[in-house]
Amino acid sequence: MGEALKLATEMIAGVGVGGFIGWALDRLFGTAPILMVVFLILGSAAGILNVIRNAQRRQAAAGPLPGKDLPPDDDDD
Amino acid sequence: MFEAQAAEGVAHEAGGLPNPMHQFEIERIIPLKIFGFDASFTNSALFMVIAATLITLFTLYAMRNRSMVPSRIQSVAEVSYEFVASMVRDNVGTDGMKYFPFVFTLFMFVLVLNMLGMVPYSFTVTSHIIVTFALAAFIFLGVTLIGFIKHGVKFLKFFVPEGVPFVMLPLLVVIEVISYLTRPISLSVRLFANMMAGHTMLKVFGAFVVALGFLGGWAALGFMVAFTGLEILVAFLQAYVFAILTCIYLNDALHMHH
Repeated sequence: MGEALKLATEMIAGVGVGGFIGWALDRLFGTAPILMVVFLILGSAAGILNVIRNAQRRQAAAGPLPGKDLPPDDDDD
Repeated sequence: MFEAQAAEGVAHEAGGLPNPMHQFEIERIIPLKIFGFDASFTNSALFMVIAATLITLFTLYAMRNRSMVPSRIQSVAEVSYEFVASMVRDNVGTDGMKYFPFVFTLFMFVLVLNMLGMVPYSFTVTSHIIVTFALAAFIFLGVTLIGFIKHGVKFLKFFVPEGVPFVMLPLLVVIEVISYLTRPISLSVRLFANMMAGHTMLKVFGAFVVALGFLGGWAALGFMVAFTGLEILVAFLQAYVFAILTCIYLNDALHMHH
């Protein structure tokens, strides 16, 4: 449950926070629904950024992947 | 048997099975109103007080002798100290040790609240998102303040990624800011979701034990035993994750790199 749920939470939190900011700004400026759409997209980007950073941190902590210490393969085309 | 079950309890629903969400209900023990706000002393508050008291009594009692060769209970206190201290040292660095008391308090509080929730008939405070969110929002505000106090306006550089073409900057800064703002949400949801999901599962399978009767109930009971063990692990792990993320956020604020 731990790791997958963590990444899913990061992603959803990005979309949620982005959507909320857009909604709040829309209410403030009366521009509904333009800003909410824009910030939902930006929020999704932030969510993906969170997931990538989290996965990178996990990967750095886990050490090199198995097979990474092998010499480079010559015959792939 | 099914009908008899359904007839007796308050917690029972029309379906005949106990309501697994009943355990999360907030009850007012001492009703209290301050300036029109409902500030009643609830079962949630009661368990927070119990947790704080337990932690204080435990550390004071364990360290009463301060012997060079620690007794068993003193070892437990020392291990928990060392555990959090090395966590802070590894993730924040030695200059982060002045925030150790905060991280230690936070870790012990969440851990004891989670563990108290494993006691039958008790209340799990951390299964309420408002509690975990209040904790996370407090950490988030504190860490941001520390960042600004330490670095001044330069802390805003934290939101500017390096090596990016100038045209892309406005877009990326907004994304970085949103990504920063998601921290309290993901921090609080993680703890709350794990605790609530686990405790709901326990109650649902507990109901299965009764509903399946003497013949079928054993399978559900076996699962319950295994799952209780897993839940104790989750209770510890989530307290650890909560504390270590606080350390990582502190590190970002103090040293300003992702």
